[in-house]
Amino acid sequence: MSEFFDMGGYAPYVWPAYGLTLATVALNIFWARRLLAKSRAEARRRLEIQGGGA
Amino acid sequence: MAWTWFHRLGSPPHVYALASRLTPWFAWPAALLIVGGLYGGLVLAPPDYQQGEGFRIIYVHAPSAWMSLMVYTTMAISAGAGLIWRMKVAHAVAASCAPIGASFTFAALATGALWGQPMWGTFWEWDPRLTSELILFFLYLGYMGLRSSIDDLQRADRASAVLAVVGIVNVPIIHYSVTWWNSLHQAPSVMQLARPTMPASMLIPLLLMLLGFTLLFVTLLLIRLRAEVLSRERSASWIRTVLAHE
Repeated sequence: MSEFFDMGGYAPYVWPAYGLTLATVALNIFWARRLLAKSRAEARRRLEIQGGGA
Repeated sequence: MAWTWFHRLGSPPHVYALASRLTPWFAWPAALLIVGGLYGGLVLAPPDYQQGEGFRIIYVHAPSAWMSLMVYTTMAISAGAGLIWRMKVAHAVAASCAPIGASFTFAALATGALWGQPMWGTFWEWDPRLTSELILFFLYLGYMGLRSSIDDLQRADRASAVLAVVGIVNVPIIHYSVTWWNSLHQAPSVMQLARPTMPASMLIPLLLMLLGFTLLFVTLLLIRLRAEVLSRERSASWIRTVLAHE
């Protein structure tokens, strides 16, 4: 198992590369969902201001 | 009649509903492909005869680099469609692409640096491939900066679309840079279907990752597009209906 994590001595390069890419994937999912939640809240607020309730 | 689907793509309520419905059909296959690709790339694929275990960076580097180009191409084509046909939805697609593309271009540059250090002895070189990819990163940042600096949405759409369309010249430059110039960067290993340079045990995880990232892009685009469409529509009654049902 430790052989796997050692990556033949390339561990200091391989694992940061994987970590960085997977963090980019996770952040993109988080950002996209946060943007949609914000736009929804914003649209709800706008509709309430215009009257008639949502 | 054959063009109804095209016209419906210009209708915000239709686009919003379609994007909602399609999202899980791209998200779950993307997740499965990426998990499978990671397992194949880290565990099943044999070490490279020259680069040993270090070559495994390819399974995150190549998909990120592919994403950087595919997203830019999508962005430029939608921006062009927005300019030509004045489709609001096309501009919304282009605007949704930029942050996705910028972040994966950054990942491609950073994972490339982490691969370059052990293999070439340097994190960075002003090499044609690396330099043109860095320019792509600045194109994305310029596009986003330009959009956020113009308050009027229509003007922001049109000005940023011109930048996106002009910037497309960089895409073939990046792709062919390793062929046209003497580059440190290795030649493409996938885009040679006639003469694959990798055994199947190495190639299949890479193809899974490339496809998985493509579907991930569609997923992210669909979510962002819904947000864009919602915030662009000021008082449409369909928004009321949609929000009441979610």
